[in-house]
Amino acid sequence: MNPLAQRRFTPRDLRELIELAPHDVAEVSGDHRDSLASRFRAVPVSEHRRLDAWMVEQAGRPSRPFVWSPTTARRILGNNALRRVVATPDTILNAVRDEVADQLLRAAAGYARAGSLGHWLAGVAHPLLGLITAEAVNWATQVRECTLGITAPWKVASSDVYFDVAGARTTLRGRRDLVITTNAGRVVVRVRSGQPGKSAGPGLRSDLVVETLAHPDGVAPLRYLGLWPDAGLVLGVEGTMDNVRAGARDFVRTAVAQRRHALVRAA
Amino acid sequence: MLNEPAPERLTEVLRGDRLRRPARDDTSASGLRALLEDHVFDLFGPARRPTPLVVTSARLHDTNRVRALGDATLSRARGILISTLLRLLVAQVHVENPFDDAMAAWRGERPNDSTIEFLVHLDHDQHARLRADVQAHFSVLERGLGVIPSTWLPRTSQRARYLLGGASVELRDVVDLVVGSTQGDVANVALVDVTTSPLGVGAERAMRYHALLQTLRTSVVPLRTVAFSSATGELWTLDVDNDLLMRAVDDVTRVLALDRDAA
Repeated sequence: MNPLAQRRFTPRDLRELIELAPHDVAEVSGDHRDSLASRFRAVPVSEHRRLDAWMVEQAGRPSRPFVWSPTTARRILGNNALRRVVATPDTILNAVRDEVADQLLRAAAGYARAGSLGHWLAGVAHPLLGLITAEAVNWATQVRECTLGITAPWKVASSDVYFDVAGARTTLRGRRDLVITTNAGRVVVRVRSGQPGKSAGPGLRSDLVVETLAHPDGVAPLRYLGLWPDAGLVLGVEGTMDNVRAGARDFVRTAVAQRRHALVRAA
Repeated sequence: MLNEPAPERLTEVLRGDRLRRPARDDTSASGLRALLEDHVFDLFGPARRPTPLVVTSARLHDTNRVRALGDATLSRARGILISTLLRLLVAQVHVENPFDDAMAAWRGERPNDSTIEFLVHLDHDQHARLRADVQAHFSVLERGLGVIPSTWLPRTSQRARYLLGGASVELRDVVDLVVGSTQGDVANVALVDVTTSPLGVGAERAMRYHALLQTLRTSVVPLRTVAFSSATGELWTLDVDNDLLMRAVDDVTRVLALDRDAA
């Protein structure tokens, strides 16, 4: 397995991690996908399972159910707002407000399903909406700051990446915030809060494997970078076959651990 | 008729004289990191602590003041409410009723916070006093803050974490308001600490600590660090230079030595 690259989060270091990423990347084939599916099928599941890097980092331990809050809403609103700013130059605050207004309109028009961000926003008090705006502005400003040091063309990812494992009732989700295109390929960036823990490497490899599996030609990105602006650190994994395999193994292990936890709960 | 000078606006202090801003310093951070690592090694040796010793700006602000538990919780609640109101003001949200709006936002953000539970169980008199207190602090804050232009890239409650000595020591910080970008040719990041206490020596230490953590986090030295008291309307500002950062390193080292001796 290739080592985890760790650098200070400075524009120069980030640029180097992007521009000097090795060009030799993994390509996964149909056989690889079939092999992964057979491993997941060997771990029975009673209902559809969704796995992501966070679950890998938590070693499959059950986490609290998801609830919307200013912190959980900031990434979607912030990234959408930043995409608006890139398309039509405006202040980040205005873009976040426009994004919130769009979500509220969707809810008012009946297009927001129960449990969605729009549905939740439509029901919160005005002051809380202000706090949600503040959090989203923080997020968008932070991501924008990250992009200022990047010289290659980049875009804010329009969504996370998903891969459905055939016949295994399993969906893998990879989080991504920025996709940078260089002459040799793409570099994917994920922005995270707090500071990286011991399982940050496996988390990044998990995102890497989903990004690779979901690519139409199965081509891995040159690098998958995790930015921790709070800690001023950048961690990165290369898109090698070793890392892709390690990420896939971690997902299968997580599914096994989840199954074990479910059996313990049921007993 | 008595003519009082207009109170100094935070926005004017933050802007300062644009022509006198120093060049962007992205070289000092590594020296500060090395110095801190040396101090931590001198204090704790090579062995890694099982749990990190945590240093926060509150620890530097308030080294040995002891308060009754109820008073501390009330102060904390007031601080959180004012911090929430600051976030709403910076996001240019209209605040109709400071206490109720801040409570609604706080409750929505952290529904299980034990301090909210504490506030719910205050008697009518204490509740009314806290409400009046928050109203007064908000008036001072609103008047002193002015409107922060969104082109200044304001972000509120910005967190920083920095590990030293192989995770034996963790420096943590939350800055109430940060404006400016680290990417320009000149220093233009300003850090604002809003406190509900009158400004004192502790506030100055906290200002230095914010500048140090921002430098360690971003590797770029900020332009200035500011403290604003919503109790008195006082506004202190310090331009960040090498001397200030060295004093911040000394402050942190002193606190670490105190905590080591107390352990």
